[in-house]
Amino acid sequence: MTSASFGRDGDIEAFVMDRYLESLLAREPIEPDGVPPDLARTARRLAETLPRYHPSFRFEEALAAKLAAVAGRIQGGEVVILPRVPGADPVPVERSFGARPVVIGGVLTSAALSLAGAAFVAWRLSRPPAAGSSRALRAVIRARPV
Amino acid sequence: MARPALRMMGRPDGTPHARVARLDRDRPAVEAARADPARFEALYRKYVAQVYSFAVYELRDHHDAEDATERTFLAALANLHRFEERARPGEDAEASTFRIWLFQIARNTVAERRRVRHRRPEAPLEAAIGATDPMDVEHSAIVREETAAAWQAIGRLPDDRRRAVVLRFVHEMSTREIAQILGRSEGAVRVLLHRALRSVAGDLGRGRS
Repeated sequence: MTSASFGRDGDIEAFVMDRYLESLLAREPIEPDGVPPDLARTARRLAETLPRYHPSFRFEEALAAKLAAVAGRIQGGEVVILPRVPGADPVPVERSFGARPVVIGGVLTSAALSLAGAAFVAWRLSRPPAAGSSRALRAVIRARPV
Repeated sequence: MARPALRMMGRPDGTPHARVARLDRDRPAVEAARADPARFEALYRKYVAQVYSFAVYELRDHHDAEDATERTFLAALANLHRFEERARPGEDAEASTFRIWLFQIARNTVAERRRVRHRRPEAPLEAAIGATDPMDVEHSAIVREETAAAWQAIGRLPDDRRRAVVLRFVHEMSTREIAQILGRSEGAVRVLLHRALRSVAGDLGRGRS
């Protein structure tokens, strides 16, 4: 959806509504001139009734401890492979995010994963391929001049 | 609070001149955490409730929200070296590009969680309302009813409208911040909010009649 699809009148109404919301959330509500009464009423109701949720103390402290442990490992210079986190890249927000691994300072479980991954790759490369077509393909690659 | 700072900018004739530029209000904490990851805790304590609350509204389940919160902060800590401050002159004095970046991670983490969860039934909305509000016992039945009705109406909104409403009304973010988090223009966010309010108003109106 784009603002263009909403139409000029709708854009203006949305803009006026936004100004009203700004004042409402700043606890200095202006007169909702130009805002339909039912929308102004709904906005006030949402601003007053929607609760903020807080995590439990137990969860908050447990995660704090986990983050502290990870921070210690990062400080210790551990380098591991973790799946890339979508949205964590410093790219324009309009772009979509793909998935690829990235090397970072990280955590114990991830370190184990990265060691296992490296061991698997090494093992896989050292094994002769099972299929005849794979053996033929590797032979061609080996025979190709660099 | 964003603080102004003097930065040396080049003039056309090559001589430098000073220009005031706003800095991210979280810059000191971010810089401290980059120098010593243990000091990431200050950022965590500041934003954990906001991220968790956002996740509750998105996932409507406290266990899932805890999981998403954990993933978000672990990712933020691990990727802090990739964060780039984007505060610009003229930006809202309360702007935090770190908070926008954190919510971008949260948004994507939650979206992934929702995709996985589509394979199993969602927790009832009432469970989330009843289980999280520690002041619930002191609320009057009317307030509880209104909260539940608003919660239900928001739950029926399409994803982007719901996110815009939650970021605007619960986290009191500016249209500009929401636009950056959702990857939309400010005009599009205003329209999203306007349409969301229309839907919610219609929903609440039907509930009364």
